[in-house]
Amino acid sequence: MDEDILTTLKILIIGESGVGKSSLLLRFTDDTFDPELAATIGVDFKVKTISVDGNKAKLAIWDTAGQERFRTLTPSYYRGAQGVILVYDVTRRDTFVKLDNWLNELETYCTRNDIVKMLVGNKIDKENRAVDRNEGLKFARKHSMLFIEASAKTCDGVQCAFEELVEKIIQTPGLWESESQNRGVKLSNQEEGYGERACGGYCSML
Amino acid sequence: MRGTAQWLHKMAADSEPESEVFEITDFTTASEWERFISKVEEVLNDWKLIGVSSGKPLEKGVYTTGIWEEKSDEISFADFRFSITHHYLVQEASGKDGKEELVEDVLPLSMQDLLCMNNDFPPRAHCLVRWYGLREFVVIAPAANNDAVLSESKCNLLLSSVSIALGNTGCQVPLFVQIHHKWRRMYVGECQGPGVRTDFEMVHLRKVPNQYTHLSGLLDIFKSKIGCSLTPLPPVSIAIRLTYVLQDWQQYFWPQQPPDIDALIGGEVGGLEFGKLPFGACEDPVSELHLAATWPHLTEGIIVDNDVYSDLDPIQAPQWSVRVRKADNLQCLLGDFLTEFFKLCRRKESADEILGRSTFEEDGKEVADITHALSKLTEPAPVPIHKLSVTNMVHSAKKKIRKHRGVDDSPLNNEVLNTLMLFLFPDDADKLTDGSEARLSTSRNNPPPESEEYNLYSQFKSAPSDSLTYKLALCLCMINFYHGGVKGVAHLWQEFVVEMRRRWEKNYLIPELANGSPDLRCCLLHQKLQMLNCCIERKKARDEGKKPYTSDRSPSGSSGDTGKAVDRSGGDYQKETEKERGEVGKSWESWSDSEEEFFECLSDTEELKGNGQENGKKGGTKEGNKESANLKPEGRLHPHGKLTLLHPGEPLYIPVTQEPAPMTEDLLEEQSEVLAKLGTSAEGAHLRARMQSACLLSDMESFKAANPGCCLEDFVRWYSPRDYIEEEVVDEEGNRVLKGELSARMKIPSNMWVEAWETAKPVPARRQRRLFDDTREAEKVLHYLAVQKPADLARHLLPCVIHAAVLKVKEEETLEDIASVKKIIKQIISHSSKVLRFPNPEDKKLEEIIAQIMSAEAIIARARSLKAKFGIEKCDQEEEKEDLERFVNCLLEQPEVSVIGAGRGPAGSIIHKLFLNAQRMTESSDEVATMTSLDEELKRSGSSDERRLNLGAVTDFPPPAGRELILRITVPRPAPYSKPLPQRMYSVITKEDFRLAGAFSADTTFF
Repeated sequence: MDEDILTTLKILIIGESGVGKSSLLLRFTDDTFDPELAATIGVDFKVKTISVDGNKAKLAIWDTAGQERFRTLTPSYYRGAQGVILVYDVTRRDTFVKLDNWLNELETYCTRNDIVKMLVGNKIDKENRAVDRNEGLKFARKHSMLFIEASAKTCDGVQCAFEELVEKIIQTPGLWESESQNRGVKLSNQEEGYGERACGGYCSML
Repeated sequence: MRGTAQWLHKMAADSEPESEVFEITDFTTASEWERFISKVEEVLNDWKLIGVSSGKPLEKGVYTTGIWEEKSDEISFADFRFSITHHYLVQEASGKDGKEELVEDVLPLSMQDLLCMNNDFPPRAHCLVRWYGLREFVVIAPAANNDAVLSESKCNLLLSSVSIALGNTGCQVPLFVQIHHKWRRMYVGECQGPGVRTDFEMVHLRKVPNQYTHLSGLLDIFKSKIGCSLTPLPPVSIAIRLTYVLQDWQQYFWPQQPPDIDALIGGEVGGLEFGKLPFGACEDPVSELHLAATWPHLTEGIIVDNDVYSDLDPIQAPQWSVRVRKADNLQCLLGDFLTEFFKLCRRKESADEILGRSTFEEDGKEVADITHALSKLTEPAPVPIHKLSVTNMVHSAKKKIRKHRGVDDSPLNNEVLNTLMLFLFPDDADKLTDGSEARLSTSRNNPPPESEEYNLYSQFKSAPSDSLTYKLALCLCMINFYHGGVKGVAHLWQEFVVEMRRRWEKNYLIPELANGSPDLRCCLLHQKLQMLNCCIERKKARDEGKKPYTSDRSPSGSSGDTGKAVDRSGGDYQKETEKERGEVGKSWESWSDSEEEFFECLSDTEELKGNGQENGKKGGTKEGNKESANLKPEGRLHPHGKLTLLHPGEPLYIPVTQEPAPMTEDLLEEQSEVLAKLGTSAEGAHLRARMQSACLLSDMESFKAANPGCCLEDFVRWYSPRDYIEEEVVDEEGNRVLKGELSARMKIPSNMWVEAWETAKPVPARRQRRLFDDTREAEKVLHYLAVQKPADLARHLLPCVIHAAVLKVKEEETLEDIASVKKIIKQIISHSSKVLRFPNPEDKKLEEIIAQIMSAEAIIARARSLKAKFGIEKCDQEEEKEDLERFVNCLLEQPEVSVIGAGRGPAGSIIHKLFLNAQRMTESSDEVATMTSLDEELKRSGSSDERRLNLGAVTDFPPPAGRELILRITVPRPAPYSKPLPQRMYSVITKEDFRLAGAFSADTTFF
């Protein structure tokens, strides 16, 4: 089942409240959209396995609450993350302006300095856009991030955003560890698994 | 299946009508020897060594600066395995076009190389390169674990194989076979070209035949070997190198000595301080200096060198080069410190086992001796004095150990322990009343915060260099080295844990830890200490707030219960202090068993009080918001800007809230695991939100208490402003008004926010159930600390020690400015930040890091030794000093360095002096007198000849430890009318080794 998974990656979604972090995640993991998604309390968690360039990666995605008051709670979950998705709402300039604070926070609480960052401008399906695409682009370039605009509602760019991020993480040496590398126990389990499979194949030939 | 398919395929092929006539070659009877030869040919083919070899003439020194590579394969002769290896200098691909212009009878490259003088005596090369000057060759040698080829017939057989293989393939690369024992490095070989052949022959003896110790004897043997009847013979070209070894550095004895620990404890801090790591080599890191005097281009007849006279005076040699031999297994202080500390990681014993007492034993004894136990109860407990001095505390801890062990031989003596504790807890020194104790200087020069160096801790996952954890790591490192190793470590750690508990009980903050919740970038132990500090801080705030608290409350409480509550809390307080005292007393006796019952009480008091208060209010809250509006607001922090409550219109107040619980990374891990385990289902998500809603609920309760009569909209406007949507609407009267409502997601019926809001009671933060149970967390930390074995400690603190070591190396390097060390430091940092950040790094990787640090230390030590030897400090001429510094730096980084100006340059004259001193030392007994006059003598005497006369029997240099000669000539062989071909002979004479390596070429066209 899990044998061919290259690695498990911890991904974090942060950004101001109401920018659609949970919606993006829901769109990515369940391919659904719920206009009435309750505001997240603390952190939420979802898992999805995706395949990028033939490498299967299991993503443990931590969705965080954007409210100021929760911010004292959530940064502890930044620990050990390999990738972070920083979301703003293209129709609300204030969510874009606050990005600097989020980056600072990330800088302070993140335990590694080579974490891959992606900036996502959400809600591009809406008409009352307040942040131009170029502004987002400029911000991302200034802070060496990946950038994409997306809409959890129409599904635009969501899959792509996660895939891009994972690909970038996998390309960064030393950022992730292969499943079999560091855990002796797991390795032996894996080998057992292979053994069984090999046997099965042989038997069916007879 | 597969087999069948092939079979069918074959059948189809066979059935084709065309039939051909095949010529059959039968190899079925080939001998092992033939097969061996064909195997050699096959390998030469595979490696593309067939055909005319081409290449540019060799540039000067390219053998040293270029890259050498090798390719290997295995072949066997019957069941005897050989390894075949191609060694070659990597060269730029020479233009292929040039190849076609080559005339057929051009000599193979290797034969040309025999005469090339640009790469004589390379400092580092394969021996065959050194002996024959070849840029490329193939060696067949017995494979590992196979016996040497000893018998003459076998040697000949091998050589014939080589000859046949070369002939068959037309390969022009010389092919050698290794014969005799490996250590003798005996090779014979052959190189073939169109109509020419070179034989490589060798003589290796233990003792030098007398007639070959000098040039004239060697010339004789060379000429007789060539056997050329041409008269007159063209002159032989000669290159000579004499190597002199200097081992005696007596005049410079190594200044670094192991630091004197007694002096340190006695207060006289010498080279070593607590919190500083030692540095440097304990012995001279440079064991030998080799001076090579070279005459690169001599012609026969220019100089005389025979058994009675020699012109070869090293002072006169046109080229000097020097190499230094590093001391083997150099002992360096920093490296030793690190290695010893790292060894701790592998110890298995617990602190108790090491200190030689078992808890079982102790308990058993106490139970058995009831009278003793009783008397203990009646005995006045060692009541802690408020202004407790460290000395006092240490004594008590020590007494404890003494009592348990029955003897007074605790690993650390009082003095050492006192000094250490004062160093670790300088705030205790300030509290000392007698003032007689020396204060430790607080002026440690730490790198300024925000500097790259200071932030190294986040890369190493260690701790800031001005933190207690860092200092503790250094102290343990030193204790481990100088004070009873693991025992001392266990002892200090126990004292440390006792001190931690004392601070917790006395509400003394732990010094030198950053405020706030644990810094997850630091090591776990550091986080634990920070956590303990958080607990102490809260407990302290609570305890200090107690007195004003009670008095504060009576006016505020309007219900009849107030008096009771005050009474109660007062009583509690008293009880508490009693308990605390008892607790403290107990802890001096034994802190290892759990005291939960006491501490639970302590933590419960607050709640009891809260409940008491709440009971009185319950009637009011239940009736809903409108009624509760009449309640007095409580726990207000400050008004929230200009916002007012929606209904009563009062200003909206931000409440005093509970701070979130600080977390260490292991707790966090635990928690996120629990949260993750709930799965990704809707129920899981719901449960997860519920588990985390405590904080939200607490904030809601505080908010309600601070804003009587408020509603969820008010709360949301403070807490999640974007979920309160305001719109300008035009009302019935045509006025524009702001109308606000909750966002859609907040209006979902019975969503968790609404749910929480409904359950929330108006309770100010100070009367709420604590979100963070500091008592429990502190006990958990203290327990965690107490059960750490010395090995665990070492693992926790190793990053700090490595961090400190890197800083030390960096600091020392800046004094010397060595490029290679700078590079190593960079490597160490990047390597460490990869290894140390992951939990449980592999021992092998840690060892690598330590080895890198040690190599950096050794290089710096070597640089210092060389600088002292070459008297760089004493040199007053700026230019000369710079030259010397450059020279020393080259010595560190290159295998061999040529001396500018040979014996006459500044470096040369120093080397000359060094040898001269060593010579004098060995020759004369009254060293002192000679040494002092030496300098003047050197200056006075003009030429070397003069000096030689003056000195009489004493020569400046010892007899050379090695004599190398290369003789070259181009003559026709074997007959006078043959083609003139390169001939070469190399000879080396050392104390117990004599070798002649000859390459003699012959024209094979008519022979």
